[in-house]
Amino acid sequence: MYIKLIQLQKERSEAMPNKPLSELRPKERGRVVKVGGEGGVHRRLLDMGLVSGSEVEVERVAPLGDPIEIKIRGYHLSLRKEEAINIQVEVE
Amino acid sequence: MAKKIIIALAGNPNSGKTTVFNNLTGARQHVGNWPGVTVEKKEGTCSYKGYNIKVVDLPGVYSLTAYSPDEVVARNFIVEEKPDAVVDIVDAANLERNLYLAVQLLEMGAQLIVALNMMDEANSRNYRINVEGLSRLIGAPVVPMVAKRNQGTMELLERIVEVAENKVRVKELVINYGREAEEEIAKLERLISQDGEFSRKYSSRWLAVKLLEGDEEVIKKFKEVKVG
Repeated sequence: MYIKLIQLQKERSEAMPNKPLSELRPKERGRVVKVGGEGGVHRRLLDMGLVSGSEVEVERVAPLGDPIEIKIRGYHLSLRKEEAINIQVEVE
Repeated sequence: MAKKIIIALAGNPNSGKTTVFNNLTGARQHVGNWPGVTVEKKEGTCSYKGYNIKVVDLPGVYSLTAYSPDEVVARNFIVEEKPDAVVDIVDAANLERNLYLAVQLLEMGAQLIVALNMMDEANSRNYRINVEGLSRLIGAPVVPMVAKRNQGTMELLERIVEVAENKVRVKELVINYGREAEEEIAKLERLISQDGEFSRKYSSRWLAVKLLEGDEEVIKKFKEVKVG
């Protein structure tokens, strides 16, 4: 039973490998599925073109993983780790 | 007496807004602050075809929400002062992100002119921009420019005068937000248009959309009217 559950979980995560943008490594690409964050931050992320469906690629990650630089809609955007944690992406 | 035109320069940060401002006004500029906030206010003048054009440089912004003082300053100037034309300086090499602001300006009913700056940069990246098609699509004049080489300034002035003289009218852009939102927008719009003063001064659709967004600045406006 337990093994089955693990297997099920594994299959699910393989089918939908969603993870926070903060966990992507440089050169990894993905598609935004969900943008979190509070009020102003949330709105700002949407304003910068981070909406569900947009393609992102991680360019560089600073030491200690903060901030990260991503490529989106043909331009470069720097994000704090705390902002990137709230952005769920589907990894290609 | 020269006829007066007031225009505002809007645009994303690093779109070349200041360069366009300098091209237009030369040395005739002065710097101050917007009342109540520490946001720089730059104004200058220029003469063209018998017009005295006052150019107001708005802060560089990506959007026009109520969340940052820069954006509030830019937005308030456009909705309250109603400049004869709003020139949005757009980085042609970064169209998608830049046009987001243009769309917001059109939704506000601004008399928009898009200055498609950094055309050289776009060309060197092999971007081919259909300027006429873009203009048709957004319903506003589009002027290709290379501001750092002062290219396109004369055509921009020409379009500014046309818009200010009402030879060209830029229509308010209406985006369909889907059935549910549209029902609420329509309800709010009806209520807003009952207040003569409000609907004369602002686009009632724009106010309705902002109220639905929970925009604090716009909500404040309504509260002031009720109390006052």
